[in-house]
Amino acid sequence: MLRFILRRLIYGVITLWVLITLTFIMMHNLPGDPFANSQKLSKEALAVLKKTYGLDQPIWVQYGSYLKKIVSFDFGISFNYPTRTVNEVLTQTFPTSAELGMYAIIVAVLIGLTLGVIAALNHNKTWDYVAMLTAIVGVAAPALVIGPLLSYFIGVKLGWLPPALWKGPEYKILPTITLAFGTLATMARMMRTSMLDVVNQDYIKTARSKGLTKFAVVFKHTIRNAMLPIITILGVAVVNITTGAFVVEQIFAVPGMGKFFVQSITTNDYTMIMGMTIFYAALLIVAIMITDVLYGLIDPRIRLSKGGK
Amino acid sequence: MSNNILEVKDLKVSFHTYAGEVHAVRGVTFNLKKGEALAIVGESGCGKSVTSQAIMRLIATPPGEIKKGSSIIFDGKTDIAKLTDKQMEDIRGSEMGMIFQDPMTSLNPTMKIGRQIAEGLIKHQGLSKQAARERAIEMLRLVGIPNPEGRVDNYPHQFSGGMRQRVMIAIALACNPKLLIADEPTTALDVTIQAQILDLMRDLQEKTGASIILITHDLGVVADIAQRVVVMYAGKVVEQGTVDDIFYNPQHPYTWGLMRSVPRLDHDDNKELIPIEGTPPDLIAPPKGCAFAARCPYAMEVCLEQDPDVSKVNAGHSASCWLLHPNAPKVERPVEVGGHNHG
Repeated sequence: MLRFILRRLIYGVITLWVLITLTFIMMHNLPGDPFANSQKLSKEALAVLKKTYGLDQPIWVQYGSYLKKIVSFDFGISFNYPTRTVNEVLTQTFPTSAELGMYAIIVAVLIGLTLGVIAALNHNKTWDYVAMLTAIVGVAAPALVIGPLLSYFIGVKLGWLPPALWKGPEYKILPTITLAFGTLATMARMMRTSMLDVVNQDYIKTARSKGLTKFAVVFKHTIRNAMLPIITILGVAVVNITTGAFVVEQIFAVPGMGKFFVQSITTNDYTMIMGMTIFYAALLIVAIMITDVLYGLIDPRIRLSKGGK
Repeated sequence: MSNNILEVKDLKVSFHTYAGEVHAVRGVTFNLKKGEALAIVGESGCGKSVTSQAIMRLIATPPGEIKKGSSIIFDGKTDIAKLTDKQMEDIRGSEMGMIFQDPMTSLNPTMKIGRQIAEGLIKHQGLSKQAARERAIEMLRLVGIPNPEGRVDNYPHQFSGGMRQRVMIAIALACNPKLLIADEPTTALDVTIQAQILDLMRDLQEKTGASIILITHDLGVVADIAQRVVVMYAGKVVEQGTVDDIFYNPQHPYTWGLMRSVPRLDHDDNKELIPIEGTPPDLIAPPKGCAFAARCPYAMEVCLEQDPDVSKVNAGHSASCWLLHPNAPKVERPVEVGGHNHG
């Protein structure tokens, strides 16, 4: 097991390096540079600026010095916010995004899986249609639609919950629902399909032939096996959701990292682009690794033999 | 008190599909004596498995339906066709156990086999987890799994096909059921393992005294293990009798056909096997007369018009065929199935 994790870590570092290199090259090939919008600067001032940031050097020199810096986890200073380092931005905004994301994931998994199970157990009956209608709405209506609707009707019209901002617990409900909706819908649909597949397996018939109650058959035999495909998407979903949902954070004025992610690209904020990308990729790599370990715990067939072969 | 463990009477099972109602089992009647092994034979789709799953009440409803008027009297008192789902749960696994065709898919891949055996024991006999585990180890030893103490915590994927079928037998027999239903238990196994599993089943039947219903299309298996045989075709019983009756004195042309399509060692001449031409009828719209008439070389006009009644050949041997009617023309049985060789 240890060897398996170690090997995956090494692969992870290699993946990360490839990613850094590709992003670096593509980023520098984008039209414009961090100072392209500052038209009022004189040519001389621009040259000084570029020299300060090392942008006047050949790209492979810049690449070399950048690699050297990130080995010590120094992502540099933002071009767009010259008073803040990328590290600061990350440490200030990621916890908020992660908090919102965790709430959303928990809601999405709990409700999504429940809906999926209910739908599958009532296959082609009313509850199946109700659950799947919810799911289809969730997939079809993006946060862009659901967010403002919730914020306006529940927040402004009814006044039950604050329509925006990120303060006490009551502020966190609407953004959580909005963010959870899409993932919830995906989970529900996957769980339903997976449950229907498992219900028709021979071993469910075996379980029933033992005289187990319907409840025991569903909870001990069906759900666990039906969860396997869900685990696969869960890792990626967690990373996607916790690293800042730009739209949801904008709608509800949540001070998360989603904004920086999007802004960094539109403003050619080189250090921020790189920092965000590396952070996101590293999280993803770790999440997928955890998924694989979890998978082994829940499904003995792919449990790794001793020595991590 | 009758000595029948099971009396199936006029069992009718249908499946409601988009295409229409499929009459999978159309009035099956047979009895099973205590301690007896009964084989149900017939080609794919003739209703063998549906009959057995109806006895276990494992048919999903909907789309399946056990028709009104069917009765399945178990152990002389309970009519399985009329029990509620809850009552049935108490009988399933404790009074009757079932083994399925494919041992590779019949065990839960994410549960230790010890727990899979113990589940039924905990539910029906109220054993503690520890006691059920002890009993599971005992069952594994009984079905011939080496090192049962070590194997009890293994997962199904760590077993071979034959071993898994042994585990299935252990699950089915864990609570000492009075009836064991084996739905093609050897079909998915290779030949040497088949023999081992059959030996094991015969051995366990002697030890436990359980009655067995064996579903199969393999006549070799029938001869090996069963005392009586029910031959099914298109959802009906066409002939039933002792193994000797069916093998040495078959009466129904379909049984003849089955016998002639299997190689036999006791016929020295290198005759070609003779298949039964054609395919079984569509059970959405079953034919008016005898279902086999369209494929039967001896079919008469009456066969297409009216379903034949059951004719008794001797006390335990009966067949449903117009050829057995007193007014029917005498037909010479094919040589391979006991007819006279004039050549």
